[in-house]
Amino acid sequence: MEVKEEQVGGVTVLQVKGRLDSATSPMLGERLTAVLEAAKARVLVDFSQLEYISSAGFRILLQAAKRAEQNTAKLVLCGVSGKVRQLFDLGGFLDLFSITATREEGVAAAQ
Amino acid sequence: MATVSVRKPASVVYGVDEAPPIGVTLLSGLQHIGIISIALVYPILIAREAHLSDEQTSDILAATMLVLGVGAVLQSLPRGPVGARYLCPPVCTAAYLEPSLFAVKSGGMPLAFGMTAFGGLIETALSRLLRPLRPYLPTEISGLVVVLIALSMCNLGFRNLLGIGSPQPVDLPEYMVAAATLAAMVGLSVWSKGTPRLFCALIGMVLGYVVAAAVGKLTAADLETIVVAPYLSAPNFAAYGWSWDASLAIPFAVAALGTCIRGIGDITMCQKINDDDWVRPEMRSVSGGVLANGMSNVLGGILGGHGVSTYTSSVGLAAATGVTSRRVGYAIGGIFVLFAFLPKASAVLLIMPRPVIGAATLFTAAIVFVGGLQIITSRLLDTRRTFVIGLAFMAALAVDFFPGFFAKLPAGMLATFGSALVLGTLVALALNLIFRLGVRKTQELTVDPARLDPVAIEAFMEARGAEWGARRDVIDRASFDLTQSIETIVESCEPQGPLEVEASFDEFNLDVRVSYLGPPLELPEKRPTNEEIMASEEGQRRLAGFMLRRYADRVASTHRGGHSTILFHFDH
Repeated sequence: MEVKEEQVGGVTVLQVKGRLDSATSPMLGERLTAVLEAAKARVLVDFSQLEYISSAGFRILLQAAKRAEQNTAKLVLCGVSGKVRQLFDLGGFLDLFSITATREEGVAAAQ
Repeated sequence: MATVSVRKPASVVYGVDEAPPIGVTLLSGLQHIGIISIALVYPILIAREAHLSDEQTSDILAATMLVLGVGAVLQSLPRGPVGARYLCPPVCTAAYLEPSLFAVKSGGMPLAFGMTAFGGLIETALSRLLRPLRPYLPTEISGLVVVLIALSMCNLGFRNLLGIGSPQPVDLPEYMVAAATLAAMVGLSVWSKGTPRLFCALIGMVLGYVVAAAVGKLTAADLETIVVAPYLSAPNFAAYGWSWDASLAIPFAVAALGTCIRGIGDITMCQKINDDDWVRPEMRSVSGGVLANGMSNVLGGILGGHGVSTYTSSVGLAAATGVTSRRVGYAIGGIFVLFAFLPKASAVLLIMPRPVIGAATLFTAAIVFVGGLQIITSRLLDTRRTFVIGLAFMAALAVDFFPGFFAKLPAGMLATFGSALVLGTLVALALNLIFRLGVRKTQELTVDPARLDPVAIEAFMEARGAEWGARRDVIDRASFDLTQSIETIVESCEPQGPLEVEASFDEFNLDVRVSYLGPPLELPEKRPTNEEIMASEEGQRRLAGFMLRRYADRVASTHRGGHSTILFHFDH
């Protein structure tokens, strides 16, 4: 898995590429913890190049969402489509996160 | 009493068992008749090939309309062994067109009708054998058949547009009529909404008539044909008798097979658009639908009409409008039966200008072609299946590329090897049979927990899916369950030694079994709460178990003598 970080209009965008499973999710978890540390952080996780997500991946997303809430930060997901979207639906996660279709909409929602 | 147990999707306004208001029923019926009527050019083409008079052509059209009406009602019947039990009206099929043209050339109309009835009997027999035959009629071959039907329609369309084989060359005004007709159909289909879009083909045809009249390609003599046609009359059914020619048995059997394969696809689509809980084809409905079509074709042969098949565009129209009530099928049936006894209705179609026929044929061919491609690509294709489709397609093209070579074949072989549709289908069926040799329906994989490679596990499932020609969505689900289960077992169950995976497939079922030495994996029916998932790895494992259970159609977990096995079952 690769995580690319960039700043877009005051929003930290994390582009996740590859597989998010028990072996790789700790790495994303650490990055999310770091960027959500700051109060009122604005974070967008772009999953448009994500191929697979396991229960371990969902766990770190839930933990990140909780951390965002505690720090009055904002966490938005985008590019959740195809097989990955089915897994979000299957696990009952679609309504738990703020999810937008495109990166542009995601940046606007996070600002 | 409703006999189809379904959960109506939100997009469906009037479901299969519901009764729309009478106005909606009739208007919906007329819309279907509009798109079905385009294909009434096929019996006209056959009549022109046989140099029949207007009156004789009118009789063939009447017989065909009667068959279309009876067929629409049969498909909609709510109970009994006959019919798909859905709104699935028939249409004149190009699958029977090419063999019928052969028959007309070699034995006249009696041979065309006798062989059409024979094709209907073959379909009737096939309808009883669909389940055991399914491995030999895989989905990608049904897609290929649809593509080949589109190619034969394309051939016919251009013959009309370019005047190939006609003593009268095509002139500029005729090209203008064709361009206006095709542009209207495509333009309305692409850029309009609502009613104009739904009626795009019909509007295009009407415009074609108008432009043809304006440029002098629809004369007063043509209009006279409508004027002199009586309002009501009893058509001269079965006026030609029937005959049989063994050399045409294969082409008509292939036409029947193609129609049968298409029926399976269309009826499956009917089931899918009517049921949010749809998982797999319900074979009783499919068999009943194929049987109804076979009976319609036997009736068509007896009465002197053209061969029919289920109609993908009608199923698509029902889905697009949200009116899928079987009562619309009864309305279509009633109106077509009525039209069969109204010669003026036949006369309007009878005078259809050559470029309008060509444009309408090309318009529908384009839609059918892409539909066929979509059916082919809905399955995972490995090297074997790639060659089945690729070589069969090229064999079919060879017939059209090198007609001179095939024309030299002995008369007995010409009907089989001189038809792109027939040859392509036969090559595909033969190659499929050959390539089935050596394909193991059960495959194993050993996973070393110390060297867990999720990508290799997914690749195993993907490769098996392609080898078996399994549905992509089912393989995706199985791949997730296999990868996630192994990941969770390795993390939480501390397996002693390797994990053994066994995947087996038989067209209807995909079973994936994971066995290991260690405690069983929990597969809870209730999702753990978010707090439980976040609080501990135990919560995460229970989430994994919950998702594994939900993604499979059935799961079974056993634990004996320290050995645990999880079976994931997927309906296919």
